[in-house]
Amino acid sequence: MTTRTLKAPSMATLACLESALSSLRITQRPTALPRIPQRNASHQAQGRANKAKQGPGKRLGAKKTGGEYVIPGNIIFKQRGTHWFPGDHCFMGRDHTIHAGVPGYVRYYSDPARHPTRKFIGLVFEKDQHLPQPTHAARRRHLGLLAYQMPDPAPSDALSNLDAPSTNPAITPSQPTTITLKPTSNNPQGLQLSLRPGYQYRQSNHEIGQAAERKEAAAQAKGKTTRAYDDFKPGDRFAAWRKSAVRIARNNERKAMGRGNKGKAKAK
Amino acid sequence: MAMDKMARPLTQCLQCSRHTHKALHIRTFSTTPPSRLEVEQQTPPPPPPNDAPPPAQQQQQQRDPYTVSTRHAETQLLHHQRRVPIGSRRRRAAMASTTQIPFSQLPYQCFQEARAYLKEDRDEKLGAIQQQRERIERLRQKSVPPEYAWRHENRVRSMLTSLEELKIQADINDPIVKKTFEDGQGDMSKPIYRHLADKQWRAYKRLILMQRITQMNVIPDVLPTIDPTVSTDLAFPIMKPSSIDNTPRLPRLKRIQHGDFVDSALSENAPTLYIQPYDKGTRLVTIAVVNADVPNVEKDGFDYRCHFLAVNIPISPTDTRVQLGQLGDDQVVLPWLPAWAQKGAPYQRMSVFILQQAQQSRSQSQAQAQSQPQSQSQSPSVNTATDSTSPGIPLDAAAIRDEPKYSTRLGFKLRSLVDRFALQPVGVDLFRTKWDGSMEGVMQRAGIVGWDVEFKRKRIEPLPYARKEGGRYR
Repeated sequence: MTTRTLKAPSMATLACLESALSSLRITQRPTALPRIPQRNASHQAQGRANKAKQGPGKRLGAKKTGGEYVIPGNIIFKQRGTHWFPGDHCFMGRDHTIHAGVPGYVRYYSDPARHPTRKFIGLVFEKDQHLPQPTHAARRRHLGLLAYQMPDPAPSDALSNLDAPSTNPAITPSQPTTITLKPTSNNPQGLQLSLRPGYQYRQSNHEIGQAAERKEAAAQAKGKTTRAYDDFKPGDRFAAWRKSAVRIARNNERKAMGRGNKGKAKAK
Repeated sequence: MAMDKMARPLTQCLQCSRHTHKALHIRTFSTTPPSRLEVEQQTPPPPPPNDAPPPAQQQQQQRDPYTVSTRHAETQLLHHQRRVPIGSRRRRAAMASTTQIPFSQLPYQCFQEARAYLKEDRDEKLGAIQQQRERIERLRQKSVPPEYAWRHENRVRSMLTSLEELKIQADINDPIVKKTFEDGQGDMSKPIYRHLADKQWRAYKRLILMQRITQMNVIPDVLPTIDPTVSTDLAFPIMKPSSIDNTPRLPRLKRIQHGDFVDSALSENAPTLYIQPYDKGTRLVTIAVVNADVPNVEKDGFDYRCHFLAVNIPISPTDTRVQLGQLGDDQVVLPWLPAWAQKGAPYQRMSVFILQQAQQSRSQSQAQAQSQPQSQSQSPSVNTATDSTSPGIPLDAAAIRDEPKYSTRLGFKLRSLVDRFALQPVGVDLFRTKWDGSMEGVMQRAGIVGWDVEFKRKRIEPLPYARKEGGRYR
């Protein structure tokens, strides 16, 4: 182990040295300055510590009073959570806002038969009507629709007149809704295309869905069929065996052509 | 060795049911699942286990619905014999290789003890039934002063109710009954099977029905309220010609869930209704199909339209099918009108209501009951229907046809009909219809005008803009 060779100077030695040096000092050393107490931060000045103060108002509450006239989409009540529920002809938006669904007059009400504690906002059509309606009474409803003649009243005639396609397939400005394609080898009966949503001239989905059946019916009339296989008969194992044999042969052929070697290499 | 065979089903439950040909040496057990035991009394001896025969013979082979266990055999049973397999596949596989010992001779002592106990309980209940019948008989013979007749009637009725409960209690613990019901072979003329079927219906299907008719507001829009006691099943015939030679096939039926949307081509023909009551006896019902959403532009609202109305249709627990298109002239008031909805109109709820016609008045029925000899009450058997009540008072279809209020389709009010003829709503069904691709053809074939009418939204005038004071806009 190492031994200490140097000793710290004793307090007496230091005092002697201090007194000796003090005589050499130019200025007098200030003695006993008044001590100024330092205050450390004991409370957070910023941030979450001071509790969120009231922010800007969110403008919640009733936007329409009871009895006021509203039209569909009007905001009746803005709220956080569901203080009010949508009653007759009202609906609730994404942030629980109550909107009007029909034109009418606002009613604030409770309906114990429907829910014991909920408060509802509903609409009535006439000023003298009330909510909730009597129990077991038929609901008050409005249609809110008008009847129009359909713009293209003869799609069925067009279907039935497929044998005699019109001679003017070009689009005329007066009747741009339907065009007729001439019969081709693919479509021996021609095609009747109508203007669909998205500005496409095409057949209706219903007609497209029936295309295979129509084709088959036409082939049947000629004594042929468009089907690759006969009508599916459950339990006809021989037909199933023939089908699967064809499929297996086709798959083998495909394997032999393209990926046969690759597969063999992997197998090895 | 017999024990070995006994325990085989259990081992087959442990292994895969498709590989039954593999012989497995197992330790023999002395117990076996009771599900197999219940069956053995009724099932005929099974055909040899199902190793696949050559395809030529498969066509002729008769499959047993109790023992088919391969997918292939099940398919064959379905297609060739038009039968569905009974029970789970594991159970069928187990049964195919089990020796058939009569139910009463099975060597499980605990099981036989349990059977004896149940039999004792059943005998007790049968005695109680007999006693209750005698009591009712005695009570009926008693002469009552007219001012206390109502009390007497109440007493007889409550005793009859308790008699019905006893009949159910006598059979409810029988494992064979439970098994038969779960196989779907319950005889609905017997109270126990009616009770079980009712319980099953109320546990799930009735809840769904009630949810649909309340959420879609069939009640209170069509009738104020209803408490269904009969279950209904709606099916539409599919009139599809054969794709090979265009000859009409026998119509297949497509079942409709309560409240489902039905394609207009499907609902063009009158549906078939299966109405299943769960209490005994034949009753006469009125069937009405009402559309509650017929748009009316003039009044900016909706009307009712009757699509079908027929009266005096007898239904009973065993006779449930009603083909709405094939009812007699003394029944049909308004024949089937295809369900239709114009383009753009909201979907339309077609509600089917089963309304029970009034029974005979109490004094009449009592007189009839007293005049009839109560021969059936002598037999102790639980399973026969003892009280034959009259089906109900038939309505006069021709007279209803003459009343414009009920023979006019548009503006038909079911509430009014129910009040006028004292009908009791006992069943309800619902389907919906909306505009689709085949609606136009359906409407033209039915001779309905308005197939080229389209509904569009009415413009609603916006509220006037509240202009604030001028200083804001500078």
